[in-house]
Amino acid sequence: MVELSGFVGPFVPELLLFGGLLLVLLLDVLGIRRNETLATVAITASVLALLSILGDLGFGPLGVLATVGAGSLNVTPAAGSAPLYHLTSFGLVFQAIFLVSAILVVLASSSRPSREPGAPIFYALLLLAAVGMLLVAVASDLIFLLLAIEVVSIPSYLLVGYRRQEARSMEAAMKFFIVGALSTVLSFYGASLLFGAYGSTNLFVLQAAAASVGTPVLVLLGYGFLIAGLAFKVTLVPFHAWAVDVYDGAPSDVSAFLAGGTKKIGLFAFFLVFLGPVLLVHSATAGSSPFGGGPLDVGPMVSITLGVLAVLTMTVGNVLALLQKEMKRMLAYSSISQAGYMLIGVTIGTAPALTGATLQILAHVLMKGGAFLVVAGVAALGIGPLIDDWKGLGVRRPLLGAAFALMLLSLAGVPLTIGFVSKFVLFSSAVQAQGWFIWLAIAGLLNSALSVFYYARVLRVMYFDSGDPTATAEAVPTTGLGAGGLGYGRAAAIGLVAVLIVGIGLYPQPILQAIQSAAQHFLLSGV
Amino acid sequence: MFPLLSAVLVTLLVGTVLTFVSGRYARWIALATSVVFFAEVAYLLLQFPGWPGFASGVPQFVDGESYAWIHLGWLQVNYSVGIDGISLVLLLLTAILQIATVIYSWGEAKKPAAWFGLLLLTCLGCVGVFVALDVLLFFLFWEAVLVPMFFIIGYWGGPRRRYASIKFFVYTHVASIVMLVGLLAIVFYSHASSFDYASVYAAAPALPVVTQAFLFLSLFFGFGVKFPIVPFHTWLPDAHVEAPTGGSVLLAGLLLKLGGYGLIRWAVFVLPAGFHEVQPVLFVVALVSIAWGSIVSLSQRDLKRMVAYSSINHMGIVLLAIAVGSSLGLLAAVLLMFAHGIVSGLLFMSSGSVHHTFGTRDIASVGGMTPRTPVLSTMIMIGSLASLGLPWLISFPAEFTALLATWDRLAYWVLLPLGILVVTAAFYIWMMQRMLFGPPKGIPAEAHDLPWHETAGMGILAAVAIVFGVLPFLLVNLITASPIRGFPGV
Repeated sequence: MVELSGFVGPFVPELLLFGGLLLVLLLDVLGIRRNETLATVAITASVLALLSILGDLGFGPLGVLATVGAGSLNVTPAAGSAPLYHLTSFGLVFQAIFLVSAILVVLASSSRPSREPGAPIFYALLLLAAVGMLLVAVASDLIFLLLAIEVVSIPSYLLVGYRRQEARSMEAAMKFFIVGALSTVLSFYGASLLFGAYGSTNLFVLQAAAASVGTPVLVLLGYGFLIAGLAFKVTLVPFHAWAVDVYDGAPSDVSAFLAGGTKKIGLFAFFLVFLGPVLLVHSATAGSSPFGGGPLDVGPMVSITLGVLAVLTMTVGNVLALLQKEMKRMLAYSSISQAGYMLIGVTIGTAPALTGATLQILAHVLMKGGAFLVVAGVAALGIGPLIDDWKGLGVRRPLLGAAFALMLLSLAGVPLTIGFVSKFVLFSSAVQAQGWFIWLAIAGLLNSALSVFYYARVLRVMYFDSGDPTATAEAVPTTGLGAGGLGYGRAAAIGLVAVLIVGIGLYPQPILQAIQSAAQHFLLSGV
Repeated sequence: MFPLLSAVLVTLLVGTVLTFVSGRYARWIALATSVVFFAEVAYLLLQFPGWPGFASGVPQFVDGESYAWIHLGWLQVNYSVGIDGISLVLLLLTAILQIATVIYSWGEAKKPAAWFGLLLLTCLGCVGVFVALDVLLFFLFWEAVLVPMFFIIGYWGGPRRRYASIKFFVYTHVASIVMLVGLLAIVFYSHASSFDYASVYAAAPALPVVTQAFLFLSLFFGFGVKFPIVPFHTWLPDAHVEAPTGGSVLLAGLLLKLGGYGLIRWAVFVLPAGFHEVQPVLFVVALVSIAWGSIVSLSQRDLKRMVAYSSINHMGIVLLAIAVGSSLGLLAAVLLMFAHGIVSGLLFMSSGSVHHTFGTRDIASVGGMTPRTPVLSTMIMIGSLASLGLPWLISFPAEFTALLATWDRLAYWVLLPLGILVVTAAFYIWMMQRMLFGPPKGIPAEAHDLPWHETAGMGILAAVAIVFGVLPFLLVNLITASPIRGFPGV
């Protein structure tokens, strides 16, 4: 519709969110602090931003909303130029995924009590973090990328601890901040070493120079630090220990945003950094032995490092999830294990694998985000944090129970859900790539079998254990909200997630097609 | 052409959804759905061309449909369905068992809407497995059966239902996953052009024989746990003992058949060279399962547990017939699956009724029940005699064919399964002697014979057992309308 020239066009979604952020702060100054009002502003801003992104991707009739000219997507920059940001359809896909996560959280948060203190801060921080996430998806320079990640991280530290009166949240925020700062330092150190080796932090320059510079120790160290720094963000084992305490201590809505949303920026950074300059060197021999390229062929080395990290992450996450007694901690560990599946996509590095991993990321946004939203709603009904406290909930609250059961079944990878389709595409791509990658598929499938244990246990508690007859707390909703005490906003968010889980599970073709064509462009254009 | 098979699936789906939401009318909706489904299967049977219309030794399907589902270039998945004689026989089995189970559990008082809905959903999954002609579609239905059965066992089951339901879910899910890896490897290693059965069938024989053998073993593990084969059978007795009667009937009658059907359709036909390599493995596993199931049955005190172990025994004979690897053997396997579906359904219903009537299923503590409960006793007797292979009842032609096929290929090795069949006969006869005859024992004063709906449910199965026992060629004519006729080396 509007062909905004030059600089503004590509950043319309970011500007929309930023506008929403300013409006929230302005309303706060004017004394309008009702939760519902602020939530409406935030939802409007994010939905408009999402529509604009979908328009840029050319989704059906939304194409009229496009603000980026069709010719300026997926354009390989001229040789020698070093742009800070670069628009790819793959980046847009991720922007859309990030926004879905933000919208779900905002929608659910609109059901919190009207007079709850701290609402303006909450929405302002959330929108700021969302702006950062969108910026991550257009980065093409390491410094730009790492700064964008900081724009997400700093608001999220504050979000975890925005309820200052709760000691547990404060502790979680402190822990999150310290670990996050360490991860930032590691990433920047890695980037500086790469700068030392290549004389630039631009991904296009890195990619072009990789062949001529070769792979001195400096480069290996640089990538090593970068992997470590990003691994903290993605909660890869052994850099995962902080995540459980943080997800557990944070308010559940914020946990939904962290586990569903912000964690995924680290994964996108992995795609950006490792499928650009490094694995392209490797992809010519994809499927051959990882050790075939000699000890200094950095592509296979990175590939196998990531493969080991992926298997380790899913296994450790699953085993620890088995041992949990608290619902949020169980979900947090399962979230760690899911990160392992997504990393498989980076390890294999083909367009099919990238498609599977991206759908897995979208699936996780819906399933895990939705699950934490349910947990928040259930906590507001006066049900305790232990899994055993959920006794009989599925029978007493059939709709809520069914939605949560659907999310768990999807996490477990049971058919007709998005979680099944994403794993199916991902593991198929591993088998299709042949070579040693089939072991990633087998490890992933065995892990998903293991995970059935703890998801089925929750189902058992919810449906087969009869509830304590004295625990009638939720029979009389104490929250005074609609939809049986959940609030209409939260109920809508949960319902939306359930519909998307089944809808995409039944007919994934349009979304898969869009993701795959974006992934193919991404791999061709390099960054 | 009218999409008949999709119509069948939609019937069951709509019926399931309506049943779930219809509250106290659930049983009527469920019955109506079952009747419509039965009529549709009857129509499929009537317009089925029969074996002369089928090519010999290669897959050919009627009522085929295929629509694009996921097309990503490297991943071509279609919604493809179609049937041949094997599928049709199993569809008939599904229709009979569904109608009998719905009638039998007419009096279910605990959440009837959910109960009947889950029964229909289980049948829907099984029908899907029998008609699917696409790797992904097949796997989807295969897995989809687990969820309703998990809830049936876990919510309506006995005292240890929680443990049994999770064990059932995890065992069969792990097995399915191994099977999925095998199926994916077949598709991608053989560079099949799509996930369709036809392209997989065409591409798979090009794989090296060793690869085929490994892939066959992975599929065999996946299908075998459903069979179940010893030593992966322990989920079955637990699941059966805890499951409610209707759940047991579907579990033994349909779910176990999924394993046999999958093995024949997706492993034996698709990987004939791999099958040839691992035939001895199958043979040994089959013998062990037959012997183990039989001997352990003999020592059971609980009637239902005994029937459950006898299922392991009978499915072992199915595996034996498959392992023989001849046209006759495969025919016997499918016949046996049908027979076992009917007979085990009858026996599980009987043990459920024994439990309602006498408050226990302990074989030793009930005796001489015939005078008080003549109808129930008759049903137990028909079921037991059919199960031990009495002529004129449905299992006899099936088991006879299986042994004939074994003799045909393996000569005197047939004495092993034959010897074990004597033990099978022994535990049934011993059970009947103790429970049905002799002086009355452990019969409560208020015990009375079956309510009408239990009689009707069991009566249907008993009638089917007799009809197809007298006229087995009706089934044989159907089954041979498939690649079984002319399977390598008749």
